[in-house]
Amino acid sequence: MSAVRLSIHIMKERLIAGRMMVIWPLLAIFILFSSWGLSDPKANLPASIVIDSAYDVMFVSTAFIIFSATLGAVLISFDGVSRDRLSGVLEIKLSQPIERPTFARALLLGHWGAIFLPVMILNLVSLAIIWHRLGELPNLEELFIHTLGTALLLFWYTTIQLLASSWAKDLGSSVAIGLGVWMIFTLLWLVLTTVVAGLSGVGVEDLNSKDYVRIDAIMDLFSPNGVYHHLLEMPLSDVDRGMSPALISLAAILWSIIPAYLFQRRIERLHP
Amino acid sequence: METLLSLSDVSWRHKVRDFSTWKPWAKRDGPGIYSVDLDIKSGTIVGLIGPNGAGKSTLMRAICGLYDCEGFSKSCEERRTQIGYMPEQVRWEGRVSVRHALESIAMMRDSEVDIDGIIQTVGLKSKSEHILDNLSQGMRQRLSLACALIGNPRILVMDEPLNGLDPLAQRAFSNLLENLAKKGVAIVISSHQVSDLEALVDNVALLHRGQLLIEGSLNEVRKNLGLEDDSGIVEMICSVTGINPEDITLDLSDDGILPLKKFGGEEE
Repeated sequence: MSAVRLSIHIMKERLIAGRMMVIWPLLAIFILFSSWGLSDPKANLPASIVIDSAYDVMFVSTAFIIFSATLGAVLISFDGVSRDRLSGVLEIKLSQPIERPTFARALLLGHWGAIFLPVMILNLVSLAIIWHRLGELPNLEELFIHTLGTALLLFWYTTIQLLASSWAKDLGSSVAIGLGVWMIFTLLWLVLTTVVAGLSGVGVEDLNSKDYVRIDAIMDLFSPNGVYHHLLEMPLSDVDRGMSPALISLAAILWSIIPAYLFQRRIERLHP
Repeated sequence: METLLSLSDVSWRHKVRDFSTWKPWAKRDGPGIYSVDLDIKSGTIVGLIGPNGAGKSTLMRAICGLYDCEGFSKSCEERRTQIGYMPEQVRWEGRVSVRHALESIAMMRDSEVDIDGIIQTVGLKSKSEHILDNLSQGMRQRLSLACALIGNPRILVMDEPLNGLDPLAQRAFSNLLENLAKKGVAIVISSHQVSDLEALVDNVALLHRGQLLIEGSLNEVRKNLGLEDDSGIVEMICSVTGINPEDITLDLSDDGILPLKKFGGEEE
C-alpha cells in the first residue's frame, strides 16, 4: 500500500476538479505575464529594482508566484479533508485498513502535486519566454534553488491548508482559516514586521536601514513566504540580509516538518 | 457458526463542546454507547434497531475501528481489514467517475480487487464511467455498497442501507445480502424500523440511549417481552424500560443520564 500511488490518484482527482478552470488562468496570467514583462529590456521597475540576468527575472517574478500559486494551493486544499468529512466519504476512507500516517502522506502529496504540476509547467514556459526575450537561461544551481524553493513553498501552504481543513467542521470555516492564514503571510506580514520593529526600538521610517533589514530577515524566518525569499536570495551575490544559509535551511526544514507532523497526528486521531 | 467478532463491555462517548465554561476548547462527555456485549457470527444477519440517537451509528463505527475503544476480540487494524463498512447516505460528489472513486478506496486495501466484478454486483455497470455529480441518491447508495464489498470482507456493517433505494432496488439489495450471508459473511445492518428488517434478519439487537437492551431473533425478543407478533420498536422499548407509550415525547435522550442500568432505566 503506497502513499505515492494513492497520492497520484488524489492528484488526478484534484487536477480535473472544476476549480482548476479558475486556477490555471490565474497562474498563467501571473507567472507567464510577469516573466514576459520583467524580461523586457526596456522595463522600468519601481524601487530601483535592476534586472541583469535571467535569474533576476525569475527572482522578481516570484512575487507573482507567491500571490497566485499560494492562493492556488489554498483553493485546491481548503476542502481536502472537510468535504469528505461532510459528505460521509471520509468514514469510508478511514474504515479502510490503510495506516492513518500513510493516508495523511497521500493526502499531502496528492494535493501538493495538484498545484505543483501546473506551476512547474508554467515555470518551464516562462523559462522559454525569458530565453526568447533575453537570450539566456539561469544556470543549473539557480534553477535548482528556484524549483526547490517553489516546491517547498507550495508544500507548506498545502500542509497548513489541509491542517485547517481537518480542523474545520464546515467548508466556511475551512475557507476562512485558509484565506486568513494566506492573507497574514502574503499581505499582512509587512505590517507585523513593522510593528515588531517599532516595538524593538528600530525606526520604521527607513525600511532600508541596517537594523530594519535585520529585523525583517529574522521575521521572514517565521513566514513561509519569507523563508522562500531567503532561499531564493542564496544565489544572489548582491543581496545579504545577514542570515546564514544554515539558519535558512533549518527554517525550511522546520516549516516542512512541523505542519506535516501536526497534520499526520490530526489524521491519526480524526473521528469522522 | 463461527464467531467472527465479539464485543464485550464496549463503551464510547463522543466529546461535545462544553458550554458551561468560557473555554472554547473545553469538551465534555456526550452521547455514546455503554457496555455493549454482542457476538457477530458468520452467515448471520443482525439487525441493529433503535430510535434516533440510540447509538446505532456509533456502535457501527466502533465495530469498524473508527473509534479507538476497547472490548473487541480483534484489534482495530484486523477489524478494518475484515470489515466492509457502508455508512448512512454518503453524498458522493466530484468530477471523477464511479470507477475512479472505487479505485481510490481499493488502493487503501492491500488485496487485489476485482473492480469490474463489484461494479457488476451492485448494478452500476452502465454508470461506471459516469461522474459522481451526476449520480442519483440510489446510485450513490449502490456505490457505497460497492465500497463495502471491496476486499471480500468477512463482516459487512451497513448503516440504514435501504434509505434512498426504490422498492425494486431494496428487494435486489436484500437478495444480495442473503446470498452473502449464505456464503458465510456476517452482516450487521441498522434501521429505525423493525418492518424494514423483518424478512431479512436472523437476529435483532435493540439499542436505546446507548445501551443494548435485548438481543435475539425477532420472535424470541417479542416472546420474552410479552409482545404481539407485529409489535415494533416503540412497544419493545416501552416494554423493556417500563415507559408508558402515552408519555413518549419528541425529547431526545439527555446525554447526562447515560449510562443507564440494563433493563432498569435507572441512573447509575
